[in-house]
Amino acid sequence: MSGKPLLKITDLRARVAGKSILNGVDLEVGAGEVHAIMGPNGSGKSTLAQVLAGREDYEVTGGEVIFDGRDLLALRPEERARGGLFLGFQYPVEIPGVNNVYLLKAALNAKRKAAGEPQVDAYEFLALIKQKMKFMDISESFLTRGVNEGFSGGEKKRNEILQMLMLEPKLALLDETDSGLDIDALKVVAHGVNSLRDGNRSIVLITHYQRLLDYIAPDQVHVFCGGRILKSGDKNLALELERRGYDWLQAGQVA
Amino acid sequence: MSAVAAPSAALRSFEAQWRARAAGPLAALRGQAMQRLLALGLPSSRDESWRYTSLRALAAQTFVEAPRIADAATLRALPQSWLAGAAATAPIVIVNGYPDLAHAARDAPRGVEISSLLAFAEDHAAALLGRMAPQGDAEQTRWALLNTALFADGLYLRIHAAAAAPVLIVHVAAGGAANATVHSRVIIEAMPGCAATIIEHHIGAGAQPALCNSTTQILLAAESAVEHYRVIATPAGTTHFDSLDIRQARASRCRQFTIVLGGGLVRTNLDAHLEEAGALHEAYALLAGHEARHVDCVATAVHAAPGTKSRQTARAIAGGTSRVIFNSKVIVEQGAAGADSLQSSRGLLLAPTAEIDTRPQLEIHADDVKCAHGATIGRLDADMLFYLLSRGLDLATAQGLLVYAFLDDVLTGMSSAQARARIEDALIAQLPDAELLRSFR
Repeated sequence: MSGKPLLKITDLRARVAGKSILNGVDLEVGAGEVHAIMGPNGSGKSTLAQVLAGREDYEVTGGEVIFDGRDLLALRPEERARGGLFLGFQYPVEIPGVNNVYLLKAALNAKRKAAGEPQVDAYEFLALIKQKMKFMDISESFLTRGVNEGFSGGEKKRNEILQMLMLEPKLALLDETDSGLDIDALKVVAHGVNSLRDGNRSIVLITHYQRLLDYIAPDQVHVFCGGRILKSGDKNLALELERRGYDWLQAGQVA
Repeated sequence: MSAVAAPSAALRSFEAQWRARAAGPLAALRGQAMQRLLALGLPSSRDESWRYTSLRALAAQTFVEAPRIADAATLRALPQSWLAGAAATAPIVIVNGYPDLAHAARDAPRGVEISSLLAFAEDHAAALLGRMAPQGDAEQTRWALLNTALFADGLYLRIHAAAAAPVLIVHVAAGGAANATVHSRVIIEAMPGCAATIIEHHIGAGAQPALCNSTTQILLAAESAVEHYRVIATPAGTTHFDSLDIRQARASRCRQFTIVLGGGLVRTNLDAHLEEAGALHEAYALLAGHEARHVDCVATAVHAAPGTKSRQTARAIAGGTSRVIFNSKVIVEQGAAGADSLQSSRGLLLAPTAEIDTRPQLEIHADDVKCAHGATIGRLDADMLFYLLSRGLDLATAQGLLVYAFLDDVLTGMSSAQARARIEDALIAQLPDAELLRSFR
């Protein structure tokens, strides 16, 4: 990739309830690239995703994030979303009483309004959502249900990908979207993610397991540990982690 | 017994209004109610069910009766009910307690007989006296006692069809002196096996009367069914007391909605008596605390017979400097074996300056009953809010959607789609970013 990266994180630090979680994260993601962030539980991977999406529970204590040429940390969560950042949640919340379609339409219209584009046409919107639902193997009852209401774990994850496909973000942060999925659901999710790859959109996959990377080939793999990136490499690094675990890296850090 | 305190200025002025009432077949009944109220005094914060709503300022005022409006031009200029489309026929309008029944015979839906209460009393005084006489629990329903003493006129509705078309009654408070009071009265009687939907809509016009004191009685005969809505949408300056008394016979079904969307100080009472076996009572309350509104809602269900079932569902939202109080009570009397009750109260605070109080109470004097209750008060769920923001919705829209979702439990209970749509509209208008929310529907 030439030119400026889509996302540039420099020495990002954050804490929650006085406890320091991110301890100087440096990361560059170019347009069209797929990055995988792997690491043990509690290493701060999810915190990084939440901080980038703008969750207020986390206090940013230092560093800088430039996204698409803008100071990301100065933006409200909704402004980040409209600017093309999408967070696929690890645990998508159920919102009974707010219809799935309402939410998608409101989200799409908010993005269009920010870009100075007209509101979506109701019929085109419905046709598009039905097409994407079919692609993501989501049943028709989705249209009348509340957001994630009564969804299984796998359905919730597929809904996250459906939302991503509808909103067409510049950068998708997928926080353990693969966890809790059986192999068929994993393939559907991977299929959805791959369909977003068009050489311009970027994806950051946060994952525990190498198996997702069997279906989505990353350009770079990063190992996250102790609130920062310990090591970066190509997809062979993921295979090495699968074989050796994380301990050898942490030992290396101490040495 | 402690000495009875001297009557308040308000009570003395009510007594003066009572003395001015014309003699008639109901004179003895009115006298009985007034004497009872004079003996009891107006409710005050010493009364358990009035501890959250102070009437001290009101008690110091004096009140006069709101005038009867007969001028056709003035009547035509009154505001129209936004629930009009929910009824099968033209609404029955009651202005300052006086019904306009010029077209009622023509406009009444099939299966519903409508008369002015005073006209009905001319022919059926004995029957009416039995229904309107103060009950043993009069102490709890003192504003209804005052209504009996002072009601200008009102309606008597008799439902005698298996499924009568929906009826809309519009109570219009149309001004008069700054200290005017309106007392309107409605009696609804459903005959055995008959069914209807009745909507009462309370609105106001122009210079407001200081006080509206409305009372409705619903009598359900065996195997009858009534869906009743009372929608309080009087303007912000008004104090509104509404008393609702429901008596249910064997295997009758009553579904009641109390919707508060207006008024300055609003107190609603619901006393449901499940008097015979198999009666089913569902009470829903949707209480919108907006700006400086004060809403105090009390709902009581008395299980007096075996196999009776009650459901009380209340959703309160409070923004601005509003205060919403919801107290529900279930009483299971001796011998009401197999009684089944469920109380669910949830409150949602939208502003740090708003307040919600809720208290479900249970009083059980029988064995073999199933009584459950739950009450929560809180703010919007932070995870839900962040999820919506992360999808690009602005804060006001996200909050509005969540508030709307919160009220869904009551709205989905409404079987009249037309009433629901209009109540939703009015509700949305009091939520942040109303225009956008409306576009989602």
